[in-house]
Amino acid sequence: MVKSVVYTLTAIALCLALFIGVHIYMGKQFSEFHDAVETLYKKVEDKTANREDGFAVRSMWTQKKSHLHIFVPHNDISYVDYWLSEACGLIYCGEFELALGKLEVLLEITKNLPGGYALKLENVF
Amino acid sequence: MALIFIRTAIIFLTLLIVMRLMGKSQVGEMQPFEFVISLLIAELACIPMADSSIPLLYGVVAIIAIFILHQIVWLLDLWFKPMKTVVCGKPSVVINKDGIDEYQLKQNNLDVSDLIESMRVAGYFSLDDVFYGLYESNGSFSALENPDRGSSSLSYLLIDGGTADKKNLATCGIEKSKLDEFLKKQNAELKQVLAMTVNGDGRVYFQKRGEKYKILQMEINGKW
Repeated sequence: MVKSVVYTLTAIALCLALFIGVHIYMGKQFSEFHDAVETLYKKVEDKTANREDGFAVRSMWTQKKSHLHIFVPHNDISYVDYWLSEACGLIYCGEFELALGKLEVLLEITKNLPGGYALKLENVF
Repeated sequence: MALIFIRTAIIFLTLLIVMRLMGKSQVGEMQPFEFVISLLIAELACIPMADSSIPLLYGVVAIIAIFILHQIVWLLDLWFKPMKTVVCGKPSVVINKDGIDEYQLKQNNLDVSDLIESMRVAGYFSLDDVFYGLYESNGSFSALENPDRGSSSLSYLLIDGGTADKKNLATCGIEKSKLDEFLKKQNAELKQVLAMTVNGDGRVYFQKRGEKYKILQMEINGKW
């Protein structure tokens, strides 16, 4: 009986710790990535972005996504991959106007993605 | 392939630990909420196990959530008795000293043939082989045995809830007119009879609706 109560309380505590930890971790990771994309966006807007800028954002994302795969469905991560690749490809070709549109989408995804996993009524149902 | 193997192994171990913590030894005899849990766990375990686009953590967290819910329901059962009735139901006494309790049978969505089947599974081949018979909340049948069990051959159900079973009548070699004659002697109409069985010795279990059962004798053509 006591053992069962201890097991239950331990499981609840572990789950709560995991939920809070994952929420904070995901928020932080996506916020950092969002900032990086925003910086890239500004550079593209100023037409000062170059190959290295795109490469830096991509490698940052590659590093982050290896851990995010544990918490985020892989399809959602592949959306970010897709739009980031498109944007970087256009930056490499010097197509800054077109790259802006892709980066805009990417900014929206990185802003809204963590909210899709937050404990909200609309996410529950 | 290796990925699916590892995911399956992780889910298997998680399920095994959770099932052990739940104290499951007999999966066949489950309370309603345990049955619900088993159904859910099977589904929750399968989806992230086979679909590699879903993080395995989703399956693990869902299984742990089920474990927590199971423990909460179990603790509520222990600490707050009315909860046990709400969640698990309560046993139903379907055979008492007066015979079959039709109301209890209907409450459990059963008829006399279902009852007889349950009794046969439990090792009783005649309705008067038990003093009391009840369905436990997990669906199993328990009985208080009549020490003077009289059945020496298989009993056939001739009337079930006011309807004559023509197939069983033919098997026993009893014509409809003979049954009508028997009912007339008992001052009963077919619709009034809740259950009537006969065994190879002509021993009849006869119960009118709302009345106590009677053990009677009937002439039959040959034994079985």
